Amino acid sequence: MDIVTSLAIVTLAALVHASFQLSVSVLTLLKSHSLGVQRSHARTLRLTSSYVAGAGVMTLLLLSLFALIFSQLFGTEAPHLVWAIACGLLAGVGIAVWAFYYRREKGTSLWIPRSFARHLSERSKATKDAAESFSLGLTTVFSELLFIAAPLIISALVLIQLPAPWQLVGIVIYTLISLMTLLSIWVLSSAGHRLSELQKWREANKHFLQFAAGGALIVLGFFVYVCKILTDVAGLA
Amino acid sequence: MQHQGVVDIVKRGGARPSEGFQREKLHTSIVTACLSAGTPTGQAETIAKNVTEAVMGWLRTRPEVTSHDVRRIAAKHLNTHHPDAAYLYEHHRTIL
Repeated sequence: MDIVTSLAIVTLAALVHASFQLSVSVLTLLKSHSLGVQRSHARTLRLTSSYVAGAGVMTLLLLSLFALIFSQLFGTEAPHLVWAIACGLLAGVGIAVWAFYYRREKGTSLWIPRSFARHLSERSKATKDAAESFSLGLTTVFSELLFIAAPLIISALVLIQLPAPWQLVGIVIYTLISLMTLLSIWVLSSAGHRLSELQKWREANKHFLQFAAGGALIVLGFFVYVCKILTDVAGLA
Repeated sequence: MQHQGVVDIVKRGGARPSEGFQREKLHTSIVTACLSAGTPTGQAETIAKNVTEAVMGWLRTRPEVTSHDVRRIAAKHLNTHHPDAAYLYEHHRTIL
């Protein structure tokens, strides 16, 4: 697989990651609580930016961890069986996202364990300083692992094949693109857009986002299957 | 004020024990929702006072209600004063 194709796969996986909504929901709650207790604009900005930084750092660490594990296990080339499992995982998670991502109720409640949701909601209410907010960002990304594991795994498998400098480029690309939604909401809410407006938009478009995330996972799985397994087996590489 | 502590509020899902209606608790939650929606403090206090009065009027003939009912009625009245705050008030549990 050449560098351009590899980075394209990483980019698509990161876009799928960006379409997941847990970290955006927590950011909305954090901002809402901060405004509700009349924290200053500067302090609210500090809290939300620390939260976004925490989410970014955890994404970067998780991708690096997966890549490290795979490179220790397989060197620079994972066996076809592992690629096939990863493609199956992408398709499986894609179908699961179509079926289960949002709970069947009003609002944007997600199918994550309720204990996680309660914990995140309580922490977003209790967060008072930047360090707590940063750790909330770390925890939120970890709580979403059920859904983001598939794009992270496929990106890690792709990255270990690349030369070291391109691996770093790939990790940076993945982290930045996966933060795109969070950064957009952060910029919009910091620029004075009403939270209710943003939340209403998310609620009105939740089925589209769900369809797009699930569909993109399936497309990605199919693309990697064709690009890697079929091409190698047919000796076209 | 006459029913404070008299009307029983059955908590969500019935998991926690019932408690008496607390005017201040409702007032604070509405002020918080208004502030979250970007309302100035004075206006938030006024809206919360009006909505709390309306909810207390509704409670006058009811000895026991659920916390969900209180939230629903408060959101309905809040919606007439500040639709954005009412949206946040009603949906804050379903954001996550």
